[in-house]
Amino acid sequence: MKRITIIILACLLTSIAAMAQNGLNINRLFDGRYKKAAGATEIIVTGSQAHEIGLTVYHSVSVTDKTQAEIIENLVVKDGAQAIDKEVEYRNGQLYYGFYTMPKSKRSNRYIFFLNQNLARKSPKNVVTLIYMEGSASADKIKKLIRK
Amino acid sequence: MKKSQYISSQAELEALIERYFEGITSLEQEDAMRQCLAHCPWSSEAIDDARMVMGYFAAHSKQHRRSVSSGMRQGIIGIAASIAVILAVGGYVLWHQSQPGDMCIAYVNGTVVKDNDKVMALVANDMSKMDDATDAMTNQLSSLGEALELDNE
Repeated sequence: MKRITIIILACLLTSIAAMAQNGLNINRLFDGRYKKAAGATEIIVTGSQAHEIGLTVYHSVSVTDKTQAEIIENLVVKDGAQAIDKEVEYRNGQLYYGFYTMPKSKRSNRYIFFLNQNLARKSPKNVVTLIYMEGSASADKIKKLIRK
Repeated sequence: MKKSQYISSQAELEALIERYFEGITSLEQEDAMRQCLAHCPWSSEAIDDARMVMGYFAAHSKQHRRSVSSGMRQGIIGIAASIAVILAVGGYVLWHQSQPGDMCIAYVNGTVVKDNDKVMALVANDMSKMDDATDAMTNQLSSLGEALELDNE
């Protein structure tokens, strides 16, 4: 009977784990609010096109609205607190650049990139970009990818 | 163990079970078979299956429960395994549904871009912005290094 209970519990746990959501704060930004917004760009790449760059999900948002930029930065910082590895740079008390390696979800590696080009020293631009990437690629591979 | 008034051997019970499932037993025989399934100590695949179908698990005495045959145990394990398989398949289906399908789309200032090449060009543009920022970080680190070296000279 013990064995049966263990088998059933193991299966239940597997199912629950499979159903678990990735639970990032930045997910709120991917609710479609930028799809029709002026001055915003949202990119969604999944499936075969994403596989070509070693990912399963590529989702990014670029905005020029400063109030949105603040919202994005706050959510990124919240998620960044849960990161297992991070590279960040603050300028004038604001997040300029952040590369966060988040805990795995569904065996996939997850990364968040953030860039506030308003704070760039060389030719600053009124653009804040957030990129969420998911896939089997390692952090080093992702960095190589952005250096292509 | 109390034996049924009408059933005196295991073979007789098995024959009755067979007849019962063929639908050719009388009400009296059915009653005797039920009583025997609940109280008789015999065990075989047919008897255990009949007990399972008729829900006689609870009716068994403790002593009989201890002597549950390996066939019965296999039956229970089989049921558990079936539940496990159902749960695992269900879990896989849910996981599979949560996996993203093929999508390559961009929304630029409210305009939809569906051309894969154009979308991937936008992705490359995102990447290049990040590259510039990491370059800035690297430059900053190397200037810090240079400053420290100068300071130590």
